Amino acid sequence: MNLSMTPQPIHLVDQYDDGDHSRHYTFQLAQPTSEQIQPGQFFTLTLAGFGEAAFTYLTAPDEQGRFQALIRRAGVLTSQLFKTETGTLLGYRGPFGSGLWPIEEIKEKRVLLIAGGIGLPPLATAIEALLANGSDVGLIYGSRDYAGQVLKQERERWQQQMPMIETFDQAVGDQLSGTPLDHLDAINQQLGGEVEAVLTCGPEVMMQAVGRSFTDRWQSTDNIWLALERRMHCGIGLCGHCYLGSSYVCTDGPVYRWREFLKQQKVM
Amino acid sequence: MKSYLLDSLENLFQHLAVSHKMFEPQSIPGSEDLHWLPSPKGPTSRYGTSKQVLPLAPAKGFLFPERELLFRFDGQTFIETLPEVAPQVLFGLQSCDLCAIAYQDQFFRQDSYYLARRKATILVGFDCLTPCDGGFCSTVDAGPFVRDGSADLILHPKGNEWLLIPASEQGLNAIQTLNLPPAPAEWRAEREQQQAEVAKMFPTDSHIRTGIERINQATISAEQWQRLGLQCLTCSGCTSLCPTCSCFTTFDTKTEGESNTFVRERCWDSCLYEAFQRETSGHNPSKEAGERLQRYWFHKFSDHYVDEFGRYGCIGCGRCEETCPGGIGVHSIMRRLEKES
Amino acid sequence: MSNPSKKVINTICPYCGVGCGIGLQVSDGTVTGVEPLPQHPVSQGMLCVKGWSSAFALDPYDRIKTPLIKENGHFRPASWSEAYQLIVDSFQAIKQEHGPNALGLIACARATNEDCYAAQKFARTVLGTHNIDHCARICHSPSVAGLRQTLGSGAMTNSIDDIEKADLLVIFGCDPTENHSVLGGRMIQAQQAGTKLLVVDPRKTRLAKLADLHLQLNLGTNIALINGLINIIFSNGWEDKTFIEERCENIDALRKKVAGYPPKRVAEITGVPVDQLHAAAKMYSQSERTFLAYGMGITQYTSGTNNVIAISNLTLVTGQIGREGTGINPLRGQNNVQGACDMGALPNVFPGYQEALDATSQEKFGTAWKCEIPQQKGLTSLGMTSEALNGRFQGMIIMGEDPVVTDPDQNHVLRALEALDMLVVVELVMTETAKVADVILPAAAFAEKDGTFTNCERRVQRVRAAIPPPGDAKTDWQILGELAKLLGYDGMQWPNAEAVFDELAQLTPLYQGMSYDKLELDNGLQWPCNDATPDGTKLLHSGQFSRGKGRLIPVDHTDPAEMPDSDYPLYLTTTRLHYHYGCGSMTRKSPLLERETPSGVLFIHPDDARKLSIQAGTLLRISSRRGEVETRAVVTDDLPPGTVAMPYHFKEAPSNLLTNTAQDPVTKMPELKACAVKIEVVTEQ
Repeated sequence: MNLSMTPQPIHLVDQYDDGDHSRHYTFQLAQPTSEQIQPGQFFTLTLAGFGEAAFTYLTAPDEQGRFQALIRRAGVLTSQLFKTETGTLLGYRGPFGSGLWPIEEIKEKRVLLIAGGIGLPPLATAIEALLANGSDVGLIYGSRDYAGQVLKQERERWQQQMPMIETFDQAVGDQLSGTPLDHLDAINQQLGGEVEAVLTCGPEVMMQAVGRSFTDRWQSTDNIWLALERRMHCGIGLCGHCYLGSSYVCTDGPVYRWREFLKQQKVM
Repeated sequence: MKSYLLDSLENLFQHLAVSHKMFEPQSIPGSEDLHWLPSPKGPTSRYGTSKQVLPLAPAKGFLFPERELLFRFDGQTFIETLPEVAPQVLFGLQSCDLCAIAYQDQFFRQDSYYLARRKATILVGFDCLTPCDGGFCSTVDAGPFVRDGSADLILHPKGNEWLLIPASEQGLNAIQTLNLPPAPAEWRAEREQQQAEVAKMFPTDSHIRTGIERINQATISAEQWQRLGLQCLTCSGCTSLCPTCSCFTTFDTKTEGESNTFVRERCWDSCLYEAFQRETSGHNPSKEAGERLQRYWFHKFSDHYVDEFGRYGCIGCGRCEETCPGGIGVHSIMRRLEKES
Repeated sequence: MSNPSKKVINTICPYCGVGCGIGLQVSDGTVTGVEPLPQHPVSQGMLCVKGWSSAFALDPYDRIKTPLIKENGHFRPASWSEAYQLIVDSFQAIKQEHGPNALGLIACARATNEDCYAAQKFARTVLGTHNIDHCARICHSPSVAGLRQTLGSGAMTNSIDDIEKADLLVIFGCDPTENHSVLGGRMIQAQQAGTKLLVVDPRKTRLAKLADLHLQLNLGTNIALINGLINIIFSNGWEDKTFIEERCENIDALRKKVAGYPPKRVAEITGVPVDQLHAAAKMYSQSERTFLAYGMGITQYTSGTNNVIAISNLTLVTGQIGREGTGINPLRGQNNVQGACDMGALPNVFPGYQEALDATSQEKFGTAWKCEIPQQKGLTSLGMTSEALNGRFQGMIIMGEDPVVTDPDQNHVLRALEALDMLVVVELVMTETAKVADVILPAAAFAEKDGTFTNCERRVQRVRAAIPPPGDAKTDWQILGELAKLLGYDGMQWPNAEAVFDELAQLTPLYQGMSYDKLELDNGLQWPCNDATPDGTKLLHSGQFSRGKGRLIPVDHTDPAEMPDSDYPLYLTTTRLHYHYGCGSMTRKSPLLERETPSGVLFIHPDDARKLSIQAGTLLRISSRRGEVETRAVVTDDLPPGTVAMPYHFKEAPSNLLTNTAQDPVTKMPELKACAVKIEVVTEQ
């Protein structure tokens, strides 16, 4: 983990629109590092004078230091990023986080990924790792509406490689409607058996519903993981903003086992 | 380590002043409050047996300043701006504030800005022979006598003389050339005894003990926190004056000249602020004032942190009680928790 | 080794009328932090969030450091002499062509007494006009006007210390925990110690939530409520008959008037149930000592002066005034709005509320200032902007106020300022008002000058320079003194702030016994302080009222000038936020305060939100008959249904594009607390 509060230079090398207010970015580190990025880790971007914000890797940096991220426009910094031209020099810090997607632990299991809206990109590194392992894996992706979906190209590719259900809050025509949890039976059928591990990322209310639902189903809190979003100003466990109980999401997370998440929620 | 007999504080002070900038708690004209200020003239006469008074603000800002430059960006490169700090001595620290520094030493052990300041600093602590108003250091194992490992030099009054205990390598080096005589052998044991005596002089702390218990057993309902939270005016006074509070935010300021040059600073933040955890989306994991208040006191008194820091986050100085406009500083809130249990 | 420069300077917090003591930590010429002052009689070691953040307000970043002259729509730096010459030429030409009343000055309730005194003296001697006003117009001018009629003095009758001496605290139309936090905190602590708390407010404020009783009245129904309470008090014989007999006049007229406000009718108008009215009347009248405090929820109405009179009636008939712990206490908004009024930065009075058109006062000041005192009545701030639009007012100096953001009907203000031949703005930073100036002069901030502020309990306190002003910046009185000399008047050449104070103390009977030396001794003195009361005055009206007998004046309920209708179906009220102060030019420099609230919000009740399909964060367009703004929704049941609220601090979403300029007939106070609006959801791209 890089403990410096000073960013490294990084260039914005490619960008294209990918969903409502969302864009698919490629960045290139000015000085590629040999540090391996683990599924679940995140980085920060600095825009000159507009501050710093945390994002998840969509792909790990390659030998040239190129990596991708999917970013939705939400605040001052991302609004500025959307106005930023390809080629611009930005600041980068990372990778951060030691709470990771538990690829080793679950790769032999039947794994379900449940994503909500902009919660899909943080699952991408886990999906790729599991697919690369040849794991039995399926995805349910819930969005507000068609325009709210992100990672179009990635989903088209995943569609070929694993069972995938897309559902919408505001479904039209023959689109599936309802929450991801409404489609568990369908995904189980497509996977050919009851799932044995769940990874989820999305709005916190959705993730909590997923956690509760599988706890009831399995009478266990073991095989459920979620990735949290928190306001962060350092990424290294110092600024204090991202506390969850006695832990810090930036260093202990961003991925928590559901059991640990519940424990941290209750410690106070 | 050996301990020494010091016959005059003045000697020690002037010795340290040769190669260090000296800071000491002092009052300013028209007020009795103590502030950490440069001390060009030598030790004030407050030390020894007189009634203990804590400086208004702890020495936190020397090591973790209220605002600190992190880096600057010249349009091409991000340039780290570590502070350059001349050797300095904080002379006259009480045990509680020293425990707080030890706590922050742990917390910021990998923070290069903190370390740059800390490495340049010698801590001279004094044993407190009387309780201060509102202080309860003995309840939270932070005093009244200076704890081992929390200071570089420890001073303990012995009549008109002083027992001087070098408590670190740096402390020992600092006094090496003074050639002090060793202290009488029995003084160390007498000091231990006296500490127990002074601890007995503190007023009752049952409310603090009950409060700590209730916080750790989590028997305080969300409604009760919410009721107490209504009294939090989010002034940030408690977190500003708390010697162990360390939360910060970062912010950028564009610099004059080139259009995209800027500096990033960090400044003290407070977990009591409504937007402390609010995300850009509007989602706020600690939306309610009660939740934020609970967090603050959890961080000060939870057993969860004892493993990492070897102590509670509260060092018993009572400064939050003095500055809280809503009447929910440490004594008030603990009394409420005791009364409303 | 040489020792670094590090010091602490004790001064007074620059935010709000509470006047807390604050220690500025200075390191190498910059204010790096603050400390509270435990021994300060008002703040007792406490500060609010704004006070704790005040080091940011002094950040040299974005301060105006040299005079600026506008050329072809852009500002360029200039020397003092060039800027002065431009002003002098322009003002002399205007005066010659249109007479002195085409010129005027807006003083600043954030500046020191010395600055305010210099400002009104400049207007009356150099410009030759009583066209001098400041923002008290839009906060407490009704208090000054109303209480002068009923009691003879428009300030807090008690001291802040009386909060702890009262048995009952009544908070009317304000939330001291938001805007006067330290005072609000003392109220909370008093309640914890057993004092009862009664809150009258259309909003569920923090104190309302803590209160023993909260009367959540409809917007703009204060008089009906108070008349109703007095009616109940009379019906039950709860009035203080001896007090009325000995110290009040005109009781019969009041009895007759309130007879027309039986509880049932009052409940209908105010929306407050009869049993709550009854309980409140009993609590108020039967308490031994009732400390009543009120704020903008009383004054910012077309009925502002009458609202104040109604409150005065209530305190008088129950004898809840003139003793320790009981009285009537307008909570002044800005740090020195009390002082700015005391200093006569008002068109109708000289320093110390001596009538501007009264012959004796005119002679007194004419002699002291060695000048002809103007005879024509002066204009208020809104009077000046109206006259500017009519082409009869051409030149203006604005000292540190930002009327474009803070005054009602922003379009009107902007048009008026743009119509001027010469607008001079004396400022710290580039405010919205400064942007339309012809000349900007850089001013010193509170930590950069010596002087005095007067807090809401009439306490005159020393402000001390901790750091030098940035660049070429100067204090207001220095700037005005230099301009005066160039305009041919020698009477404003003071060597230091103390000399200004000595002059003003001599001419202001309320301040006559004060000097910087005496103010040093015990954290200031409360006026009146003169030969009769050399140690100042903690309590007003103890033996008799300033005007002799307390006058009861019957007043009637009137609706706000603009009520919701089918076109504009919701009431809009404007509020302040804990985190911000005025136009935000100081508070918004703190990254913490700026983070706390997005730049502009609209508070709306869940019922109204549901009807309009509004959720938290929905982008809205709010329009009134005067303009429209876009901002985001915050859904909260702290407001009653049918009423929405907007803070006025944000230039990005200026609530004053919407507000009504309808005015209180007595004081020209605009009706900032109520106007009609409609709300539409904006579809975001």
